[in-house]
Amino acid sequence: MIKIHDISKVFNQGQPNEFWAVRGITLDIDVKRVTVLRGPSGSGKTTLLSMIGCLSRPTSGRIFLGERNLSGLPERFLTQIRRETFGFIFQRFNLIQGLTVLDNVMLPAYPLAPDHGALVQQAHALLEQFGMAAKRESKVEWLSGGEAQRTAICRALLNDPQVLIADEPTANLDTRLSQEFMHIIDELKAAGRTIILTSHDPVVSDAACVDRVITLRDGQVQDS
Amino acid sequence: MLLSPAILALIGVSAVVTALLLLAAVFAVRVLRHWDLQSGSELQLRLERSTYLISTLVTFAIAAEVVALLLFVYNAESMHTQFVGAMCATGVLNVNAWGWPALLLKITVFFTGSVWLLLNRLDNQGYDYPLIRLKYGLLLVLLPLVAVSGLVQLQYFLNLNPDVITSCCGSLFSPNAQGVAAEVSAVTPRDAMLALYGSGVLVLASGAVYLRRRRFATLFAASATIAFPVAIVAIVSSVALYVYEHPHHHCPFCILKGGHDYIGYWLYIPLFSATALALGVGALAPWHNIASLRTAVAADARRYTMIALTGFALFYAVATYAIVRSNLTMAGTWW
Repeated sequence: MIKIHDISKVFNQGQPNEFWAVRGITLDIDVKRVTVLRGPSGSGKTTLLSMIGCLSRPTSGRIFLGERNLSGLPERFLTQIRRETFGFIFQRFNLIQGLTVLDNVMLPAYPLAPDHGALVQQAHALLEQFGMAAKRESKVEWLSGGEAQRTAICRALLNDPQVLIADEPTANLDTRLSQEFMHIIDELKAAGRTIILTSHDPVVSDAACVDRVITLRDGQVQDS
Repeated sequence: MLLSPAILALIGVSAVVTALLLLAAVFAVRVLRHWDLQSGSELQLRLERSTYLISTLVTFAIAAEVVALLLFVYNAESMHTQFVGAMCATGVLNVNAWGWPALLLKITVFFTGSVWLLLNRLDNQGYDYPLIRLKYGLLLVLLPLVAVSGLVQLQYFLNLNPDVITSCCGSLFSPNAQGVAAEVSAVTPRDAMLALYGSGVLVLASGAVYLRRRRFATLFAASATIAFPVAIVAIVSSVALYVYEHPHHHCPFCILKGGHDYIGYWLYIPLFSATALALGVGALAPWHNIASLRTAVAADARRYTMIALTGFALFYAVATYAIVRSNLTMAGTWW
């Protein structure tokens, strides 16, 4: 269970342009389920997602993963949590141009310096699973949108994370590729992963594999 | 006041460190008053975000103050040519009434600061800030100590008058003189050496016991607390005499000179470092029951104990070597 208790996030606090992106949200997110955060631009869904994934810290409030207080962890432990517990898929995929698909997928493991042979095997297995084996030596700038996304998914799964986080994963995809992505999400859910997505794409929020849709507006939960 | 790069550096370090600790003390008071890890309040999260920055700044400040002890002694030693009557650091420290208190305060800051650094390192390895109140509480103790040390040092440097004829080590560290230095010099070499090796066996044995059984850390720290002053007394009353090959020269500073192969540094650096680490082991070990620190306490205390034992062993080896290689033969007189 991911418990979010009275979380708020303010940007430019004390400045004339102070902005409260998230205001006192309290939520429980079940593990091994697919949860979608839905809402218009500026509703706070990406901010909330980044705090759940330990990419940013709340201004107030607590986030617990099981019994562990994530929002109170010192930075060095957050790095470890990000590396071991969460896998991230970004809206623009954030693949490193100039590197091959294989290198991009292996990148998150480099700080841990695992055995290189085992790492390559693990990356190959993931690329095989997501139909990208033939493209492993291709530079990422040569990939189509769907291929780039599958590469990003492989990269997110490399460290075998418990929770997969995706921010607007279908924003740059057409309907067919979006449906294909949700099919992959369904498989990952079946494999026992917790998945949290942000999206205002109906293909995502209406997908059969989605267990819960939380609607945000103006930094608050409107409907959960 | 005599201006030299070392004096300016020492005054600068003390001023900067005191200023930094003063800023950190304001934060420390807020931590002691408001810290509550169960709370998700804005203040608590701000304290959590700031603590790592503050403790990192304080770490650099205290580390600078720890290193400053070495510079202080080196500077006192190197300035002896500027004062009539001074043969070594003893004469320079004797130029006015602030010299010896400044040195003793610096030594106190060295040991207190070292223990704080080790505690801070341990606390930073716990995910739930387990020692945060203790380390910031200690900071409030350290601040007045560092401030007084800096002020006394400043008084010492401001009152350095090259026209003053000072006393050399021969008159201060003499059994016939008055004061603590004279009393230490008057300790018989036999008693001093028995105490030196006795306390050495105690500290090495207690450290070995801690390494093997992970128990009696306090005994190890207490043994080091005894071994340190005993070692200083033994250097003054006995070891130094063998280094100088002179039965009446007791100075603990002349052994730092190049003419004596800088053997003093080989004695003091291992002794001070080992004592600081042993005190650190005593300060760390009680926290092994805290879940978030269990692994860190075991690893750190083991590492510090091993380094401390190496330091003590090196000190006793160098002291013994200084005696054995000496041409001074006092068989029949002292032994």
